Amino acid sequence: MNPFQYAEPKTLAEAVTLLDQPDAHAIAGGSDLLDEVKEGIISPVQVISLASVPGLIGIDESESGLNIGAMTTIADVAAHPVIRTAYTALAEAAGGLATPQVRNVGTLGGNLNQRPRCWYYRHPLIPCLKKGGDRCYALIGNTKYLCVTGGDRCYIVHPSDTAVALSVFDATVDISGSGGSRTIPIGQFFAAPGVDVTRETVLEPGEIVTGVSLPRPADLGANGEPPRSLYLKAREREAGDFALVSVAVRLAVSGGVVQQAAAALGGVAPVPHRATQVEEYLAGRSVDSVDAAYAGTLSIPDARPMTDNGYKVVMANNLVKQGIARLVGR
Amino acid sequence: MTTLSVVGQNAPRRDFPEKLVGQAKYSADLKLPGMLYGHVLRSPHPHANIVSIDTSEAERVEGVLAIITPYNVPRRAVAPIALDTSVLDTRVRFVGDEVAVVAAVDDDAARRAGSLIKVEYEVLPFYTDPDSALAPDAIDIHPGGNLAINPPLSIGRGDTEAGFAEADLVMEETYNIACHSATPMEPRAAMASWEGDKVTVWKSTRGVHVDQVALAQALEIPVENVNIVGPFLGGGFGNKDESRLACLAALLSRQAGNPVRIEFTREDEFVAGRTRHAGRIHLKVGVKRNGTITAIHGTSTLNTGAYAASGPGVARRAGQGIIYLYHCPNVRYESYLAYTNCPSAGSYRALGAPQGHFALETLMDRVAEELGIDPLDFRQKNRVPPEGQPGPRLSPPDQVVDSQPIEGGIPFSSNGLEECLTRGAEAFGWDRPLEQPADPSKRRGKGMSMMIYRGGPGSTSAATVSVAKTGEISLLSGLMDVGEGATTVLPQMAAEILGVNAEDIINVFGDSATTPEAPITAGSTATFSTGSALVRAAAEVRRQLLDLASDGLEAPVMELEIGDGRVFVTDDPSRSMALSDVAATMDGEAITEEVTIPVPGSADYIVNAFGAHFCEVEVDTDTGRVRVVRYVAAQDSGRIMNPRMALNQVEGAISQMLGFALSEELVTDGPTGVTLNASYLEHKSPTIMDFPDLQVIFADIVDPVGPMGAKGLGEVPCPGVAPAIANAVYDALGLRLTELPITPDRVIRAMEGS
Repeated sequence: MNPFQYAEPKTLAEAVTLLDQPDAHAIAGGSDLLDEVKEGIISPVQVISLASVPGLIGIDESESGLNIGAMTTIADVAAHPVIRTAYTALAEAAGGLATPQVRNVGTLGGNLNQRPRCWYYRHPLIPCLKKGGDRCYALIGNTKYLCVTGGDRCYIVHPSDTAVALSVFDATVDISGSGGSRTIPIGQFFAAPGVDVTRETVLEPGEIVTGVSLPRPADLGANGEPPRSLYLKAREREAGDFALVSVAVRLAVSGGVVQQAAAALGGVAPVPHRATQVEEYLAGRSVDSVDAAYAGTLSIPDARPMTDNGYKVVMANNLVKQGIARLVGR
Repeated sequence: MTTLSVVGQNAPRRDFPEKLVGQAKYSADLKLPGMLYGHVLRSPHPHANIVSIDTSEAERVEGVLAIITPYNVPRRAVAPIALDTSVLDTRVRFVGDEVAVVAAVDDDAARRAGSLIKVEYEVLPFYTDPDSALAPDAIDIHPGGNLAINPPLSIGRGDTEAGFAEADLVMEETYNIACHSATPMEPRAAMASWEGDKVTVWKSTRGVHVDQVALAQALEIPVENVNIVGPFLGGGFGNKDESRLACLAALLSRQAGNPVRIEFTREDEFVAGRTRHAGRIHLKVGVKRNGTITAIHGTSTLNTGAYAASGPGVARRAGQGIIYLYHCPNVRYESYLAYTNCPSAGSYRALGAPQGHFALETLMDRVAEELGIDPLDFRQKNRVPPEGQPGPRLSPPDQVVDSQPIEGGIPFSSNGLEECLTRGAEAFGWDRPLEQPADPSKRRGKGMSMMIYRGGPGSTSAATVSVAKTGEISLLSGLMDVGEGATTVLPQMAAEILGVNAEDIINVFGDSATTPEAPITAGSTATFSTGSALVRAAAEVRRQLLDLASDGLEAPVMELEIGDGRVFVTDDPSRSMALSDVAATMDGEAITEEVTIPVPGSADYIVNAFGAHFCEVEVDTDTGRVRVVRYVAAQDSGRIMNPRMALNQVEGAISQMLGFALSEELVTDGPTGVTLNASYLEHKSPTIMDFPDLQVIFADIVDPVGPMGAKGLGEVPCPGVAPAIANAVYDALGLRLTELPITPDRVIRAMEGS
């Protein structure tokens, strides 16, 4: 490991100034950053800790909804009573990711900004496209864990569980950099490889995520029937495993009719995949006439599986089916 | 020996206190004054000739004291296990193969120097699967070609052609098995230190005496100049039986003039440790309508990777179930062991037996189904009986019977297969129909398997039992306790004979300078083979103690007994002497008996261990994930010396094989030859959350040959796990999965294909 300098700024302004230097990397929980250093993917000259920056930790409830500081641990997100009841999919996504040890140090901001798990990207000897190399090695190698839609020269899947869950709550992401602050919808936060193959988000160099805001669900408390949501994750062992495919579904039902529907998939695309055809099918439909199995088949209409990952399409369809069936009480 | 007071009890593990509080020292915890840190430069190419190595820039890094390359080491094989593996070589054969090593005052300097060594390679074509490595146009990975056993292994009895001709039904199938890693918690390490022309090496080891010979040969120094010490071992599982790392540490230390320690990284442990052999097994079985088996023919093609390591043993053991588990006059087994440019496969718990049993026990399930016979009944009908296989004995009558026999005509010393099948089925409730879950996407199924394995006879084994004039009793063994518990169980056996408590015995283990010759702790042989030597040594010491006590108590030896640390007169226990008082009357300083058993075992009987497994799985048909819900393992390992530790052995075996069956796969990339998932995260070993509810039953058997009735256990439960699970998956889905591990993608593919 190359030597690096470590700084623990006391204000956000100081932090973003320090981060505005070449080869400066922010560290939150560190569970992904240290791996990347060891794998030779990055060689930070400056490591800027966000641990002492005030205002980045905690979950605040207000009239407009919830604000979750970027440095809030995954374990705290999973345990928060309001998140568990009103934003269940997020609590389930956070509660089921990695292991208790990682959830205790890993942060929400870090989880959204973690780098992909693609075996080829992570291997020190493979100069893949994402690391500045000339091509994707996975495409002619092992494609089992690659995306089935949205690939463009690079075929990663985004590894974040919380990103998928946040996608169905119309969350917004608060960003700060030396040039100022901005807030963008979660759907615009992630960048497909076609935009820039070397990164997975729209963060500019030096920018960091400071928090995530979740709008108050419109009907929460209005007629006592909060929108229900859930998160399902298919994996190869019960703990310490990234999703093969995951799905977050949220349904707002009143008067026996689906008023609002949101569905997103993880593990299938380089960014959280919004299942818009599923949402269109469900919205306005009476609960009794919902055909969950049919809805499942609309999950990834443009899927283009490779040699080893066709199972993901089947899994995605089944999980969406199962998610809808559970939410409508079948 | 009718009633036992120490053997059969749950003596606490000797190493518990140190391990629990974190005081146990493993090889990488050791540090000597002035010790240097070694770093290994590894090959980035799967197959290449080294044309030149320039170390000039690396030598200039501050703190670097020694660099070893293939050009400044003796070009000797690291024998006796790794006959085809040099200390270092100018041919590299897999991504991660050792190229050069550096010793420096700290790890950073050693790594920096390693990165500055300039190596010029001539890159060669490479092969990641046996078929391409064995193709006629493939270039040789080792001199002599890409078959590591040539001609290929071919063993059998009877006439399989006639047997198949006689059959009413012939069924065959091809099975594919992936490579996986044993993932020991401790990455291996070795520390070497010289005093004059003598070297001491502390290393992660399974056998100090074998290491001693290997180092002496590789370093070209006399055996007596090498001492190997085995500190605590953080998981062996068959791995850590080789000596290349120790040679490199010793060479660096000799060149630098300081002690040197080299430690594998976690990635090194996955890539440059040893894996289980991936392979393909083709199996063919012929049966009569009445269920009688007329012929069995198996062929395995195994991927041994860059070096053969214990590959020949693996190839052999993969066939033992095929030729011996079922009563059958006509059997044949062939094996093709292929070099490739994958990481080396080697010894991993039960060697090839899990691969062979997966094919055998899933195909037999199909045969039973085709005949309309319940899988349990089919096995009860066809299991090898206590009297053994049909056919004549071919080996001379006075020769100790191999624990992996081929010929018929030899009975087993004990054979608990029937009891394992009966009691296991009863505990599982094999007759009861399973309840299906209310959720229609979940389907449950039950499956079973049986297994046969070597029962304990191993290589030449010795033990020394000694009673000092002070009354102190010690047990010397050259064995390494690799975590299985020999340092607890062997003293229990000595204590039983000498009439003391197990904790009264002082252990001296795992140091080649002070202990008698011993094999590596391998093949489930420690309790049986070293135990056989120990029992004889202890009995002789006991005889001498009784002689002494006979004088003191003025009673004939015939009338004396030993127990609770005393010698007493059988009819009048009030006439007694403490053992320490008996010892005090000896003439010399100690009574010492060393017993060596050149070939453990029996000339009259096969000593084998057995088992039968039953399990219930739940398959999620939405995600393809298989969860083992319930598991019953019935084992015949003779008399159980320490029930709690025996239970741990079975639990450990099943948890490791759960990964083999369902989730673990070490993947070598076809196009580049790199190992793609060398980490705990991506090589998916099961977690405690994946472990089923487990019930373990031990058959009530006292083996007449084994010491105090014991047979081998450590590896014995391994072979049955994958087929029991695969058969249960079939019961749940109606689909035969012929490829391991049975991961969600494979299950979904099978469901889509049906």
